[in-house]
Amino acid sequence: MLDRRLLRSLAKTVGRQHVLTEPADLILYSYDSSTTRGRPEAVVFPSSTKEVSQTVKLCAGRRIPFVARGAGTNLSGGSVALRGGIVIELSRMNKVLELDTLNQRVLVQAGVVNLDLQQMLAPHGLQFCPDPASQKVSTIGGNVAENAAGPHCLKYGVTTNHVLALTVVLPSGEVRQFGAKALDPPGYDLVGLFVGSEGTFGIATEMMLRLWPLPDSVQVVLALFEELEPAGEAVSQIIASGIVASALEIMDRGTIEAVEASFPSGLPTDVEALLLIELDGAAEALDRQAERCAAICRGLKARQVEIGRTPEEQERLWSARRSAFGATARLSSALLVNDATVPRTRIPEVLRQMQDIERRYGVQIAKVFHAGDGNLHSNILFDRDDPEGFRRAKMASAEVFQVAAGVGGTITGEHGVGVEKAEYLRLIYSPADIAAQGRLREVFDPLHLANPGKVLPTEEGSSAQITGAST
Amino acid sequence: MSAVSDSLHRLDEIVGDANLLTATEAVSRYTVDGQQPLAVACPGSPEEVAALLRTAAEARLSVLLRGGGQHLYLGAPSEPIGLVVSLARLDRIVEYQAGDLTVTAQAGVSLGSLQRRLGEHEQVLPLDPPGPATATLGGIAASNLAGPMRMRYGSPRDLVLGLRVALTDGEVIRTGAKTVKNVAGYDLSKLFIGSMGTVGAIVELTLRLIPRPEERGMLMAVLSPERARQAVTEVIGSRLEISACNVITHPAATRIAGHLPITVAGDAHLVAVGLSGPHEAIARQDREMRALLGDACVGLTGKEADSMWEQLRGLAYPREREATLLRISVPIAAVPDVLELISSQPGWCAAAHAGDGIVYAWPAEEADLLTVKKVLDLLRGTASGMGGFAILESGSVALKRQFPVWGDQVANGDLMAALKAAYDPTGVLGCGRFVC
Repeated sequence: MLDRRLLRSLAKTVGRQHVLTEPADLILYSYDSSTTRGRPEAVVFPSSTKEVSQTVKLCAGRRIPFVARGAGTNLSGGSVALRGGIVIELSRMNKVLELDTLNQRVLVQAGVVNLDLQQMLAPHGLQFCPDPASQKVSTIGGNVAENAAGPHCLKYGVTTNHVLALTVVLPSGEVRQFGAKALDPPGYDLVGLFVGSEGTFGIATEMMLRLWPLPDSVQVVLALFEELEPAGEAVSQIIASGIVASALEIMDRGTIEAVEASFPSGLPTDVEALLLIELDGAAEALDRQAERCAAICRGLKARQVEIGRTPEEQERLWSARRSAFGATARLSSALLVNDATVPRTRIPEVLRQMQDIERRYGVQIAKVFHAGDGNLHSNILFDRDDPEGFRRAKMASAEVFQVAAGVGGTITGEHGVGVEKAEYLRLIYSPADIAAQGRLREVFDPLHLANPGKVLPTEEGSSAQITGAST
Repeated sequence: MSAVSDSLHRLDEIVGDANLLTATEAVSRYTVDGQQPLAVACPGSPEEVAALLRTAAEARLSVLLRGGGQHLYLGAPSEPIGLVVSLARLDRIVEYQAGDLTVTAQAGVSLGSLQRRLGEHEQVLPLDPPGPATATLGGIAASNLAGPMRMRYGSPRDLVLGLRVALTDGEVIRTGAKTVKNVAGYDLSKLFIGSMGTVGAIVELTLRLIPRPEERGMLMAVLSPERARQAVTEVIGSRLEISACNVITHPAATRIAGHLPITVAGDAHLVAVGLSGPHEAIARQDREMRALLGDACVGLTGKEADSMWEQLRGLAYPREREATLLRISVPIAAVPDVLELISSQPGWCAAAHAGDGIVYAWPAEEADLLTVKKVLDLLRGTASGMGGFAILESGSVALKRQFPVWGDQVANGDLMAALKAAYDPTGVLGCGRFVC
C-alpha cells in the first residue's frame, strides 16, 4: 500500500483528478494486450516532463517501482505493473511540439498517437516510417520503448532508424537530453541504447523523429494460393529478382477465414494463403515491377492475382490484412501472440514445422507474416476458461520459439520481450550475452525501479502471473 | 620490466610467436600520434581476441584496436599504447545466404572484398565511407563511418543487425540477431557501433544488404550559392528516392579538378545528385533533377558515376597525413549557411553531404596553429549554435591538443563514463582517443 503522504505528493504533482487509486480503476490498468496481469497501487497522468520527473523522483525516494504506459497495446506484458507501484500514464502528453518540414524533423510528446501524427504529416508530403498494426491507438512513446515496426519497415527500417533525440526522465527522476536534431552527437549512442529498452532505462517524454518524403506512387499486388509454401516461395523469388517491395505480407487460411467471418470482403475461404505485395517509388517504374511480381505468383500457380493501382483498389486489397489481428482475436476467447522472426530463406521449413506443432499440440495457429523480413506472427488460439488448452498453447508457443532459434532466428521481431518472453531469451543468447545486457541496465537503472521484472530473465525464472487474455 | 615481459609472454602464448610483434622496427609501423606500441598482436580467432583483451586488462596494458589502419587519424591524441590488437587476420566471410539479404563477416574483412563477393549476387552493402576500400568492416562500424549515400541508406548504426564482440573479461558475446528485425533484449550493438574501440572489440558483424540498384547515375552542376541552396532544398524534399546530394565549394573542387567533367569557378558550388533505382525511375529522376539543376548539368552513369562518387567521398578523407579536417553536423536546412561561413574563410574548403547535414571543412594549405584554431573555434561555435557539432577528425597532434577533438564538453558525460566503466572496468581500451 502506498502511504497517504505519497498519495498527497502525487496529487500535488499532477493534480488530484489525475491520480487514480480506486480498486475498480486500478483493475483497468492491470493489463495490456498480452496475457500478463499485475495491479498497480496508483495510476498517475502527468502532463509535462517536469511532472513525470517529479513523479519518478517520488518513486525513487521511496524505492517504489514505476511503469510508463502509453495506449496499453503491448503484446508481451511490457506495460503491466508486475511488482505493483505506480503506473505513469502518458496520454495527456499528446502534443506535437514542433514540425520542422525543411529539416524533415518533428518533435512530439510521448503520448501522441502514431496515426494522428501520420495524418498531420501527410499534407506536408512527409511520413514517420514505422507503422505498427496498432497505429490507430499506439503512441510514439510506446513505439520508441518497444522499437516498434510494421509492414513498411521492410523497406524503411524500424523505429530506432527514425529517432534522433529523446528527452528522458532517468529512473532517478533526473531529466536528460539524449541525441540531437543533427546527426552523430559525440560519444556513445544513448538514443540507440534507449530505443527498445521497454521502459527499463527510464521514461522518454519527448522525441525528435526523422521524417521521410511520402512515396511518389504505390501499387499493390494480391495473390491467392492453394498451398502455403508457394506463397513463401513467391516472396523469395521477388526478393531474388532485386525488387525492393515496401511490404510483403502473408495470411494463412485460418486468418482469411477469420477475416471473412468478421469483416467479409469476398475473399475465397478455400485458399491456403494470401500474399500481399506493396511496391512504392517513381510511378513509371511500378507497372513493370507489379507485372513481374504477378508473373512470379502465376508461375507458382497462384489461383488469382490482382493488381491495385488506385488508392481505392489498394485500400480494398489491404483491408483483409489490416483487420487480420482483430478478426483472429474474435475466433477464440484468447490468443497467445508469437512474433518469432527467422531468416527469410528459412520461412518454408519453419512453416512446415509450425503445421507439425499445430498437429502435435492440437491447437490452431493463425498465421500472419511480415514475410519479407521473416517476421512470423503466429497467433495461437485458446479458450481462456480451459487451463489445459492454455497449457498446450504455451507449449506450442515455446516450441515455435525453439524452431525459430534453431534456424538462426530470434524470439521476437517487433512485440518486445516484456514478461512473457524473458525466459526464452536463453534460447538465443548465452549467459554471457545476457550478463552483458544486464550491465547496461545497471548503468541506467541500478535500483531496478523502472519497469522491473521485464526484458531480461531472472535467476529464479519469470515471476509473471500469466492468465488467459480476454479478447 | 619483468611485469611487462611477463605479460608479453602471456600474449605470445595466446597468438603464437609468429603473430606477436615486439621488435622495434616491426612495431614502429603501428605508431599512432607518435605513440609506438610495445607490441602488436594479430589474433586468428575471436577467442584469441578475447584472451588478449583479458590479459591486457589484467596487466593494465592499454589496447588500441586496429582494422585496416585507414581511419586511425580519428580521435583525440593517443595516450601511450601498450598493445595494438590487429584484427586483420579475422578476414572470413562467415555466412552469406543471398536470399536473406544479410551477410555475416569477420571484423577484418575489407569493405572492398565484401562488396566484390556480394556483387556476385547483384547485392551491395550500402555504405560508402571515405578512404580506401581496404578499410575493414570492424573499423567502419567502430567509427560509424558512412558516405554520400547515407542520406538514403543510413550508417552502420542502421545497417548492423548483430555483432560478436570480445570483452575485457575474456568473453565473446553476441548482440542483436541475424534477422532484419529483432527486439529480443537490449540493442547492445548500438553501444559498440561508433565507440572507437573503447568498450570491446567487434570481431564479427551481421549486416543488412540491398539488391544492387538496377541502374545508377549522377548529375553534376555548377551553381551559384543561392541557386545551390534552392536546388538542394528541392532535391532533399524530393519523393523520387534520390540516393545522395553533395555540395562542394570551388576551392574544395580544385582538389579533384582533374577528374571533374565540369569546371568550377569563382564562388560557385559543385552540386552532385545521386540517382539510383529501376531504369524507369532513373529516367524520371534524371528529368526532374535536370529541371532543378539547369541545362548545363552533366550526367554520368554506371561505372563513370561510381568512380566520380569515389572522388567525391574521398574529399571527406584527410588530404594528407595529419592534415586538418573538421566534420560539422547540423540540421540539414542549415547546410547552406555553414557552406557560406566556410567559404568566407580565406583558403578554406568545404564538402557537404547535404541530405544528412554533414559538412567537411579543411584549409587548402596548413597554416599556423593559431590561425587554424581561430577558424575551428568559429565553426564549432556556429555549429553548436545551430544545435549541431564539430569534430576535429584529423589534424596534427599539436592541434588536437589545443582544440578538443570531440567538443569542449560532451553531453551526458557521466552516463558515458558509467557505460565505459561497465564494459571496460580497468579502462585499458581505446588509449584515450574517445570521449571516455
